[in-house]
Amino acid sequence: MSSSKSNKIVKLESSDNKTFEVEEAVAVQSETLKNMVDDGCANDTIPLPNVNGKILEMVLGWCKKHVDETVTGDELNKYEADFLDLDQADLYGLLMAANFLNVKGLLDRVLQRVADMIKGKKPEEIRRIFNIKNDFTPEEEEEIRLENAWAFD
Amino acid sequence: MSKLFGFSGDDDFCPRGSIYPNPKESSLFLSLGSHVDVYFPPRKRSRISAPFVFSGERVEQKKQVSIDVLPDECLFEIFRRLPGGQEKSACASVSKRWLTLLSNICRDEFCSNSTTEYLKPEEKSAENKAEDPEIESDGCLSRSLEGKKATDVRLAAIAVGTASRGGLGKLLIRGSNSARRVTDVGLRAIARGCPSLRVLSLWNLSSVGDEGLCEIANGCHQLEKLEICQCSEITDKALLAVAKHCPNLTDLTIESCSKIGNEGLQAIGRCCPNLKSISIKDCPLLGDHGVASLLASTSYVLTKVKLQALNITDVSLAVIGHYGKAVTDLALISLPNVSERGFWVMSNGHGLQKLKSFSITSCRGVTDTGLEAVGKGCPNLKQFCLRKCALLSDSGLVSFAKAAGSLESLQLEECHRITQVGFFGLLNCGAKLKALAMVNCLGIKDLNMGLHLPSPCKFLRSLSIRNCPGFGDASLAVLGKLCPQLQHLDLSGLQGITDAGFLPLLDNFEAGLVKVNLSGCVNLTDKVVLSLAELHGWTIEMLNLDGCWKISDASMVAIAENCQLLGDLDVSKCMITDCGIAALALANQQLNLQMLSVSGCSLITDKSLTALEKLGQNLLGLNLQHCNAISISTVELLVEQLWRCDILH
Repeated sequence: MSSSKSNKIVKLESSDNKTFEVEEAVAVQSETLKNMVDDGCANDTIPLPNVNGKILEMVLGWCKKHVDETVTGDELNKYEADFLDLDQADLYGLLMAANFLNVKGLLDRVLQRVADMIKGKKPEEIRRIFNIKNDFTPEEEEEIRLENAWAFD
Repeated sequence: MSKLFGFSGDDDFCPRGSIYPNPKESSLFLSLGSHVDVYFPPRKRSRISAPFVFSGERVEQKKQVSIDVLPDECLFEIFRRLPGGQEKSACASVSKRWLTLLSNICRDEFCSNSTTEYLKPEEKSAENKAEDPEIESDGCLSRSLEGKKATDVRLAAIAVGTASRGGLGKLLIRGSNSARRVTDVGLRAIARGCPSLRVLSLWNLSSVGDEGLCEIANGCHQLEKLEICQCSEITDKALLAVAKHCPNLTDLTIESCSKIGNEGLQAIGRCCPNLKSISIKDCPLLGDHGVASLLASTSYVLTKVKLQALNITDVSLAVIGHYGKAVTDLALISLPNVSERGFWVMSNGHGLQKLKSFSITSCRGVTDTGLEAVGKGCPNLKQFCLRKCALLSDSGLVSFAKAAGSLESLQLEECHRITQVGFFGLLNCGAKLKALAMVNCLGIKDLNMGLHLPSPCKFLRSLSIRNCPGFGDASLAVLGKLCPQLQHLDLSGLQGITDAGFLPLLDNFEAGLVKVNLSGCVNLTDKVVLSLAELHGWTIEMLNLDGCWKISDASMVAIAENCQLLGDLDVSKCMITDCGIAALALANQQLNLQMLSVSGCSLITDKSLTALEKLGQNLLGLNLQHCNAISISTVELLVEQLWRCDILH
């Protein structure tokens, strides 16, 4: 980050009309916001209609922590691990927000977290955990089982 | 296909008015790379909002939250991070949306670790060891889908399931007219998930079009063999894509594809330097232009050519004759626009020097002149097969045989203008024939005069005269003197021959008969078999007497005593009784019998059970069909006891 802009503040407004003010260095962790800043569109409050206040606060907290130079490597790891200890609704909200705002590190961690939740599970378990409806007909299920039998063992 | 859960909330991206004057700039919000472009249409990207998830009462909504609220691109990214094949297979079985997404990920997009650079190095290596590694996929798996089982879902499942277990190498799809058919979607899944595909065969898939095959071309660069039959929606565009992206193509078969024309073939010829075999049948749009340019471009590599039911003319034949320098096998079938001149020009092109095997069916251009030219123009021709050529005469046949100096095997089928004069002329003309077959040639009648025979056919080993009803005893008698070295004799369907004609024959075969087929020769009696067993018992390995109803137990006794080498015996519909079977069984240790057929022998009863059991110790195949006197329980006993033997009943 160039030092000349280090004191600039970026204002963000969530879908439920909460405003947040963060330093530019924090905000540009989001590629989306960084592009806006670079294009000179970040002078007024930026509305983020896709992200609600709670989630936005979480995201900004993450960004702040990663900019903070006083935080050690171990502390950061612990922070990241605890951070992702969320229920599914929040996890997906966070995922979509990180996707929308394009915060690479956060996005990666959340995606990996969900992938880890899938790891080692059988299809029926996956459906149960993630609340997915099985829309295959019995013939289709059989066809898939033929090829992917080891997933059912 | 995939249905995102319906979102409430308006479609408008920024309800308070767009930040950007140009709405297209909303693409700045998109984070994921270009590899998702092909699959995800742009409009889906704006639907990231999921309002109902964020509404106040989280506790009640907790149970209703499903991962399916995530947009396709997020799920896509999650799947990309799945560690191993088993996880991917499990996810493929969860729902249709998941199956579709998984099967559309290109194999090289699955990243175990490439984007997870935020993991500490120790964590990364631990993860690597824990998960099952991606097996080097060399395409060792094959799949064959037919009829009702050929569906897009199955193809998607295959794309996911084979990826980490060796990779798909061969795929055969035989379609049907059922409701759930294979479409381009299924082929796309295969294209994405199976880059090691080498052999693809598509039959009767009218719902597959260019898009599917283009995807395959783009995804499966290792493709070597491609077969497209009865796929009416595929056009030249698909062939152009295959030509461009599959340089390893060696075999191409196109059959009954009404939209494929010259351009496609031209491209294949230009861009596939390894093309060895081409087979084209019944493509009405294809003409000389395509065939000629293909042959000209692949002049030094193409070895097998088959052209059937096409509108090509003498021009194509001329091109073959000139450019077919590497062609070893050539088949020309049902070419109505090819004339005598075409064959003449082809042969005089002097290009067919390597031609070994040539087969012509139903081409009116095969006349005496045409055929003689072929004989002269193909100096290395060894096998020649002529079917349904009504214009060829006796003299033409003989001059051909004289001209084709290297000819070893000749087969004539339904060439009704050939008579016994031509047949014997052939045997007598000094040709070095090793095998001769005349099938269904109605012009052949029995000799009614003596024949002057200066030179017997020293090289002839195999003679087959099938279903030529005019062939009789007089002709048989002459045969014996003409072919002393004969080992394989097939006279099936010759109802005119009797013992009188056949018996003298057996004395003349010096080399000893090895395979004898007399099925349908209804007039032959035990005397023939007795003589055969006595004179040729040392050498005979296969004897077929199917339908010779005069053959009785006496023959079986003779065979049992004399034919130590006999491995295959067929006495279907003969007058064999239990005594005959007993005689065979008695000599069992001396016999080499592996295949036995007594189908239709109604005189064999349950009494033969022990004998059959004894025989069955060595048998690999036993045919008991239509043996009405053998009860089902006996058959079942046999099936149980003779587990090594394949019993037909």
